[in-house]
Amino acid sequence: MKTSKMLRITTITMLMLLFVAAGSVFAQQKQPGGWKANMPAKYKTMKGKGDVAAGKELYIKHCKSCHGPKGLGDGPKAASMKTFPGDFSGSKFQSYSDGELYYITVIGYEEMPAYEKKVTDDEDRWALVAYMRSLKK
Amino acid sequence: MKRYIHPRYTFFPLLVSLLMVLGTSASAQETTEEETGPDKRPAKPAFESGLLFDQQTSTIPVKNTLEFVIQHRFATVENGISDLWGIWGVSNIRLGLNFVPMKNLMVGWGTTKYKKAQDFQVKYNILQQTRSNTIPVSLTLYSNWQIDCSADAAFGDSYKFSNRYSYFTELIITRRFSNALSVQVAPTFTHFNAVDSLVDHDRIGISMGARYKVSPQISLIATYDLPLKIKGITEWNPVPDPAEPNFCVGAEISTSTHAFHLWLGSSQGILPQEVMMTNKNNFFDGQFLLGLNITRLWNF
Repeated sequence: MKTSKMLRITTITMLMLLFVAAGSVFAQQKQPGGWKANMPAKYKTMKGKGDVAAGKELYIKHCKSCHGPKGLGDGPKAASMKTFPGDFSGSKFQSYSDGELYYITVIGYEEMPAYEKKVTDDEDRWALVAYMRSLKK
Repeated sequence: MKRYIHPRYTFFPLLVSLLMVLGTSASAQETTEEETGPDKRPAKPAFESGLLFDQQTSTIPVKNTLEFVIQHRFATVENGISDLWGIWGVSNIRLGLNFVPMKNLMVGWGTTKYKKAQDFQVKYNILQQTRSNTIPVSLTLYSNWQIDCSADAAFGDSYKFSNRYSYFTELIITRRFSNALSVQVAPTFTHFNAVDSLVDHDRIGISMGARYKVSPQISLIATYDLPLKIKGITEWNPVPDPAEPNFCVGAEISTSTHAFHLWLGSSQGILPQEVMMTNKNNFFDGQFLLGLNITRLWNF
């Protein structure tokens, strides 16, 4: 009887450890990148003007759940993703050209979905770029 | 043609009409003040999804979009705590799939718990409001065909399969006044091939709805469906009373691919012909229920 209880406790402990170990493996997210290789050259130098307030509204609707309220990559869906959604306030993200931000946003890559059929208006796409620019620290 | 409308039911239609007229004149004035030429691009969608509680809207997603719709109506709140204000009561549910095969056209199929109904629908944007208001409103035609799949006995002695059919058609007139405020009005026509005795086969009605956005994702919505009592098209003398008007008030939460509606409304019927023809609940007598809609979009 005593052996059986010990066995049960050991099994439960082992299972808990296994879950913790698995959780830590999944928690190690890949850093975003690799999209430049497939990006058509025209996006590199693309320029556009956007309204930051309109961009903020679109961001809240389409982007916040993954990228977080301030673009820090800490939205409610971010933890379950293989790739870190990116820190929009950081120098690396802000060093991308407007056209590159447009490309990532509209065409997408890997876990970042394409938004060309959800944000159909070019004016809105540039508004999103303008808002992401405004998140610079 | 003489109409019999209770004065209480005329306030909401008048308010919506007044809003549309005032908004149109204000926007036209803004347009003339613009220095550049008129922007003829279609205005942004007036509503977040193709549904506005029990009503349809002019919003049709882009080509090759599939929409999955879940519509749920609990029982009325009249029984109070005994059935948790209708949540444990008998509910009505519709599941639907809509597809956009070409720009401005949506076709769909749905199945509903009540009457085991199957329905097929089509919606087409005839005219779209422009950003410069050179076209001040959008016009959308919506039509559906419902097949009541109840047992044969439900249709009486002289049963024919076509007795199961009912139809609904409306012309939705929509105006997006601003980023926050959109309003729609729709004259509607409903026809049932078979009805109970002392009930008309046809019903003309008017539907109205308004949305006010309080944040990028949250909107407050009110809708009103008014079946009209028109002597000129009735089959009976005296003219039978139409169904009760359907008043709904609630909120919408929208995301990139979803729209969630939560409201209090009077009709437990989901398809618009059921709303216009069979609603017996009077919202203002406490006969209302909790309604839920969820829509999900996939782009292909």
